Amino acid sequence: MAASGKVKKEEKYPPPKRFQVADIQASREATAVKPEVVSRMVNKAKNPVLVTGKYLLKEPKLVEVAVKFNEKGIPIIATGGSSKPLIEKGVKPESVVFSLHQITQYMLDPEWKGFNGQPYDVVVYLGFTPYYLSRMLSALKHFSKITTIAIDEFFQPHARFSFTNLTKHKELHYEMLSKVVEGLEERK
Amino acid sequence: MVFELKEGIFVLDDLRNVSIKIGKVIEEEEEWTEPLGPTPKPGILELRNWDRKLMERYEPFYGPMQDYCNLCTMGPCDLSMNKKGACGIDLRTSKARLVAIACCIGAAAHTAHARHLLNHIIEEYGEDLPIDLGSDVNLEAPNIRLICGIRPKTIGDLRAALDWAESEIVKVLHSTHIGNEEDYTDYESKAMHVGMADHVGMEVADIAQMVAYNLPKAEPDTPLVDTGFGVVDRTKPVIVVVGHNVMYARPVADYLEEKGLIDDFEIAGLCCTAHDMTRYNAKAKIFGPIYYQLRVIRAGLPDIVISDEQCIRADLLSACKAMGIPLIATSDAACRGLPNRNDDPVDEIIKDILSGKTPGVFLDDGEKLAEVAVKVAQEIFKRKQKKELFLTDEELKEEVEKCTQCMNCVFTCPHNLRIDQGMKAGQEGDFSKLAALEEVCIACGKCEQSCPKDIRIINVIMKTGYQSLVSKTGKTRVGRGPIQDTEIRNVGQPIVFGQIPGVIAAVGCVNYPDVMQDLRDILEEFLRRRYIVVTSGCHAMDIGMLKDEEGQTLYEKYPGNFDAGCLVNTGSCVSNSHIAGAVIKIANIFAMRPLRGNYEEIADYTLNRVGAVGFSWGPYSHKAASIATGFNRLGVPVVVGPHGTKYRRAYIGKPWKTENWWVYDIKSRQKVNIEPAPDVLIAAVETKEEAIVQLARLCIRPNDTTQGRQIKLTHYIELSQKYLGAMPDDWHIYVRSEADLPLRMKDKLLKTLEEEYGWKIDWDKKKIVGGPIRHFDAGFNPTIVESVYEKYTRK
Repeated sequence: MAASGKVKKEEKYPPPKRFQVADIQASREATAVKPEVVSRMVNKAKNPVLVTGKYLLKEPKLVEVAVKFNEKGIPIIATGGSSKPLIEKGVKPESVVFSLHQITQYMLDPEWKGFNGQPYDVVVYLGFTPYYLSRMLSALKHFSKITTIAIDEFFQPHARFSFTNLTKHKELHYEMLSKVVEGLEERK
Repeated sequence: MVFELKEGIFVLDDLRNVSIKIGKVIEEEEEWTEPLGPTPKPGILELRNWDRKLMERYEPFYGPMQDYCNLCTMGPCDLSMNKKGACGIDLRTSKARLVAIACCIGAAAHTAHARHLLNHIIEEYGEDLPIDLGSDVNLEAPNIRLICGIRPKTIGDLRAALDWAESEIVKVLHSTHIGNEEDYTDYESKAMHVGMADHVGMEVADIAQMVAYNLPKAEPDTPLVDTGFGVVDRTKPVIVVVGHNVMYARPVADYLEEKGLIDDFEIAGLCCTAHDMTRYNAKAKIFGPIYYQLRVIRAGLPDIVISDEQCIRADLLSACKAMGIPLIATSDAACRGLPNRNDDPVDEIIKDILSGKTPGVFLDDGEKLAEVAVKVAQEIFKRKQKKELFLTDEELKEEVEKCTQCMNCVFTCPHNLRIDQGMKAGQEGDFSKLAALEEVCIACGKCEQSCPKDIRIINVIMKTGYQSLVSKTGKTRVGRGPIQDTEIRNVGQPIVFGQIPGVIAAVGCVNYPDVMQDLRDILEEFLRRRYIVVTSGCHAMDIGMLKDEEGQTLYEKYPGNFDAGCLVNTGSCVSNSHIAGAVIKIANIFAMRPLRGNYEEIADYTLNRVGAVGFSWGPYSHKAASIATGFNRLGVPVVVGPHGTKYRRAYIGKPWKTENWWVYDIKSRQKVNIEPAPDVLIAAVETKEEAIVQLARLCIRPNDTTQGRQIKLTHYIELSQKYLGAMPDDWHIYVRSEADLPLRMKDKLLKTLEEEYGWKIDWDKKKIVGGPIRHFDAGFNPTIVESVYEKYTRK
């Protein structure tokens, strides 16, 4: 899945430039992926979840995207106060009060059954402060088997899969988010 | 016949070849009725079990910054996915080692600072200078009493505490050498050990300077001093002190006073030296914290800069040089490549500086330093031409025009600030986007290093954001030092029982995730709700810059007492020891728990009873890591801003692991399952909204009375509804009986407990009859330490 979904040069996506040039990496760096691949991975997951953060308080477009995820049956763990705009749009997040730091600690424990009774296998991240998310993705990369997907505007090298760096291409980022949503199948 | 023994070597006249050496005369110990506890001057092992107990609940979390280890020549080693390196260490343990190293650095900074001060003060005032912190502080040095089992009465007595701290820091540093620990929990225990030692180092430093330099001693109504970028009168020569050790720059104020010049000059400080200068002489002013260094220097405000140690930019000299500002380095920890001119005559030093022969000097002789600084500042001031700050309008335009929007700056900026967009708008004549960056920019200068066009980005941001910069000028209440015993007597019970919902200790650095105003908003939320808010260091000066619509800072709105709804500024970094000290004093003064060498019992008491939470919204330094880890060992949870994740480690409990949440109840003599309170020892949050709600939750303690729990739950629920838009997910697990429920919501919450959580409610009596983790018992007496349990059940 990763190989076929990998962004190729000819596809004219911006390069997967790190959000911090000094971020030091090792053997495994995120695979830069197209939106269709994100949808496919979420569709095939046993128990996917969308985790939302700070930027939902600043960018209404991100709230719309999260709402659409939820409409397709994907649960949301809202952190950083992102619950407020989501609840206003009728979403009932799985949790509102735990920080991403806490949620990540829970996810690192294979015994954790999630908020809905079974462990999450694919976790999609939306709307986070990049350096904060980076440390969480690093923890999950090194100490868990969870598939992490970052769909923010920054390329996140510690994720398993990430969008490329779209900071300069805000509209493209929004288009890609819309494509992810379009590709999501309704979950039962 | 009475012999008076003194230290020294004595020859006995009638006995040939006999001399007696008396090293130290130990005076008869005035009765200290407190029994000696089990761990005076603990080594690495004595509190290891306590640490392990904490880590069973609050499991260490690691978010590595890099996947390699390259500390030794067998590497570099790829440790990704928790692989082992050439020495056998795995990723988790190597990160724990890094945390221990960071804490060693932080603890060493305060402890070396204390040593410098102490030696200097003993030399100047003698070792018999009594420790007198005023009539309201009889329980002075609570950290030293608790940790070292010493009750220092004179400045000389502080040496024993400092000797212990230095020795422990070296031992822990040794353990970080290749080929020592192999279990991450041992490095964590060592990090906690040096974190604890740090609080001793800080306490020694602050007590020594309070006593010797007559700094305020526990007075709640200390003067308000000017704070912020716009504080100085630019018609006077400006002497700027920067760093953390006021010992060096203090003689400058004395010199100016002696010469009757104090009102003809401006003395303003950057970082904690600023706090301590104002504690020493309230005519001094506070420019701001570390990220004001380049702001102040690039604006050309100083006529001379005097640096000491810690958190000073490593390019201070070149920044000063570029602006023609002479620099005097004073601490051997930061000589800055400057020549040591202590042995040269003052006139010669002044001549060399003013002629430009040297951009600065190293000088730690206080008298010379004062004379040189004042005379040089006077002359530089005379020579200074009136210039626009940062850039002229013409220069601004030229700088902005150079930008090609390559975005290199954006991807080196710690906040990924959209400098490119600001520049583009500026090229089109709109400078508002650039101006807005001033609010979040920490003026670190990384952007300029990455700019291929060498744009002076900081100057551009500060020039365009000048109005915002200069408007952040207000008042800080001078650091008061310790908390009075009487204040503790008044608030001890309401804190332990929960009627005062908590103590929020806002300390640390300025690597904020967003605008500085957030810090004020967070703290004011708790002040309005009558929590006690304590602050120190950079946080304490930043809130002195931020005014509300009425033009008031928090210091002008809220009194400086240690009481509900009050705001206490203890002072500089080393004054953090008084915050830990207040927590310790609660256990002693209110609960009569002995302190002397009795660390584990007091930490256990704190964890279970004292609703105090540390808060560092912009942590960046090693000192912050060490202070926080010391608080954690003492049972005080800490919330940090998102940059705090770069410390790589957190201690986060798992509320769903019910087997981790238990205490021994001394009253019922049973092991009891409890609610997860507090559920975190240290973790980062992303937003101010999240910070506020987390802080409220972490004030909850198992020992809360029903009235206390009701108050704490009311705030927790209200704040969650206000900032997160919903009830907190876990509110119900903190309910032990219907009496814990917020009064105004009681019926509704009872219904929710019945319908959503399956609890049994007796609706006739409006009582909970089934569901809670445990029921409330007025005599509940929790501990997680076996020896404490045995001690109090034996009685």
